[in-house]
Amino acid sequence: MNYTLPAEVLQIAEDIRSMKIRGAGRIARAAVKALKIAALAYKGSELEDFYEYMKYTSKLILATRPTAVSLPNAVAYVMSRLSKNIESFTLEEARSKVAEWADEFIEYSLRATELIGEIGEGRIKSGDTVLTHCNSSAALSVIITAHRKGKDIKVYACETRPRFQGRITVRTLAKEGIDVTLIPDSAVRFFMKDVDLVVVGADTVAANGAVVNKIGTSMIALAAHEARVRVFVAAETYKFSPATVIGELVTIEERPPTEVVSEEFLKKYPGIKVRNPAFDVTPPEYIDAIITEKGIISPHAAILVLKEEFAWALEDRMKKLKLAVEYETE
Amino acid sequence: MEAYEDFHKLVSDLRDGRIFGSTEAAEKALLFIKNQISSCETVKEIKNTLISYVPPLIKARPTSALTVNCLREVIELTIDCIKKKLSSNEIKEKICNKIDQMLKEAHESVEVIAEIGAKRIRDGDTILTNTYSYTVLKVLEKAKEEGKNISVFIPESRPGGEGIDMAVELYKRKFPVTLFVDSAVRYMMKEVDLVLIGAEAIAANGAVVNKIGTSMIALAAHEARVRVFVAAGTYKFSLETFLGEVVELTYRRPEVLLSSHELRALGNVKVLCPAFDVTPPEYIDAIITERGVFAPQAVPLIVREIFGWPPLVKDIGMLINELKRC
Repeated sequence: MNYTLPAEVLQIAEDIRSMKIRGAGRIARAAVKALKIAALAYKGSELEDFYEYMKYTSKLILATRPTAVSLPNAVAYVMSRLSKNIESFTLEEARSKVAEWADEFIEYSLRATELIGEIGEGRIKSGDTVLTHCNSSAALSVIITAHRKGKDIKVYACETRPRFQGRITVRTLAKEGIDVTLIPDSAVRFFMKDVDLVVVGADTVAANGAVVNKIGTSMIALAAHEARVRVFVAAETYKFSPATVIGELVTIEERPPTEVVSEEFLKKYPGIKVRNPAFDVTPPEYIDAIITEKGIISPHAAILVLKEEFAWALEDRMKKLKLAVEYETE
Repeated sequence: MEAYEDFHKLVSDLRDGRIFGSTEAAEKALLFIKNQISSCETVKEIKNTLISYVPPLIKARPTSALTVNCLREVIELTIDCIKKKLSSNEIKEKICNKIDQMLKEAHESVEVIAEIGAKRIRDGDTILTNTYSYTVLKVLEKAKEEGKNISVFIPESRPGGEGIDMAVELYKRKFPVTLFVDSAVRYMMKEVDLVLIGAEAIAANGAVVNKIGTSMIALAAHEARVRVFVAAGTYKFSLETFLGEVVELTYRRPEVLLSSHELRALGNVKVLCPAFDVTPPEYIDAIITERGVFAPQAVPLIVREIFGWPPLVKDIGMLINELKRC
């Protein structure tokens, strides 16, 4: 069944797709905000229809970006609660509860970023040079908290092709009064000798502790590993992917070539194939620790976070998997 | 190839990388010197031409060992001629011949390198390269001529984007080309069979100086057990490094990374754009020269063969001073 959704919800979906809203945390918060707006704008009178309408909205939002797990986790935060309680609700209760859970998630997410800053800054010493990539709220929270606590730090930030999110990062850090240098992505190994630690964000953390993040992150981690520079990943627990526990791979989104070269270039040289992977996978052996709002863990302990935070999601998935297996063997 | 008329433009193009490959850079510098020398009337003018033009040319591109080595030979020849009291016309002729001969040799050795290098490429290989390199282009062309089906992966090579120019050159020669951002090199490496790169300079220990990003590529290749070959003539050996000199790595202007308007919008931010980096010999499987394929660690052996041992290298600054005194 098709529903007409509020324009604001469609706009949020479009902004996530076009990367106007970007960064795993911001995407997650925008997604639940869209759910809230949709719930409050619902015009029908049937509870069952409302549930279908919310599922329809969720699907639309989930389809915007395939890689960031924060998106399905945020949507699930609201929708799993709705599905669990729907039978005991009236329509009015259901609508207001969706709005309440959405606000709860947003508040939790913002607080988590702050907590990550508090926990992570302990790993930065005065005099350290930090290298970061792309524009991650969690990673910036760590760096900015260290600076605000009076630590004298220097930051190298990669420009982050193709969309130059590094420029946003340097602007933000410069405003804080941090000594910051913008470098091209190709110069990471050149500068690694001057770096004391790498702090990056994550789009998705897989069950084995591998981190999916902005393209280039795995190169940085490799260069850091070679230079014995520590690598920290700042990631809220809602960036851990329950799906990977049952063996699913994280889809790496390859985005349009026009982000790399112009339309004219593509027309002029039709034989040149342009590939634009948005993310890469950093293996756990190149990561020293993941900083979450619940504490610092080794990447290999990712399964612990998943078991703690997503017990319901895991049970649900395992149940479905077992059902499918039973069905097949019959 | 056309010679530059305007010295300042030549220097700025050399410095900012608008003359892409180091072979072209050396060619442009030598042709400029040849033109200037040809219009000299007296021995004094010849001397002054070299004294005023050579140091800034080298300073503009200190990494280009080919430029340094060739200009050194020109000065040595001139000093020798002046000591022998040759006439200005005789000196001019000798210098111009020398430059023509060096350029010819450089081209011939690229042909030989292509011949040797193509043998290391197998039918069906996917080859990753970085930036624009005349030598790499020749090796790939040769392999294609031999009927091998090869496809080329290339990062855009910021700052400057010479990888895009290389992609266009390869496209014109009908290679299947795949272009991507520099940070995607490790992501792509699993699909790569061989890395083939050129060089600005090769140091005494076999380390290779090349466009920024090359050492990241070599590291990612090493991690993935993909072989790395460097195609470069022996004239790109940096002889100064045998005397303990370090190859000076230059930076490019921040404007190659972002417009001055964008730069202002960033606020109080520094921008650093190193032009070159150094790939350690342990990430290089072999150097392909006109004298054959050998391990980077064997560079001193080849140097001994060509220049004797220890190689008698005179510093350009010392030679300029000697020229001033003649």
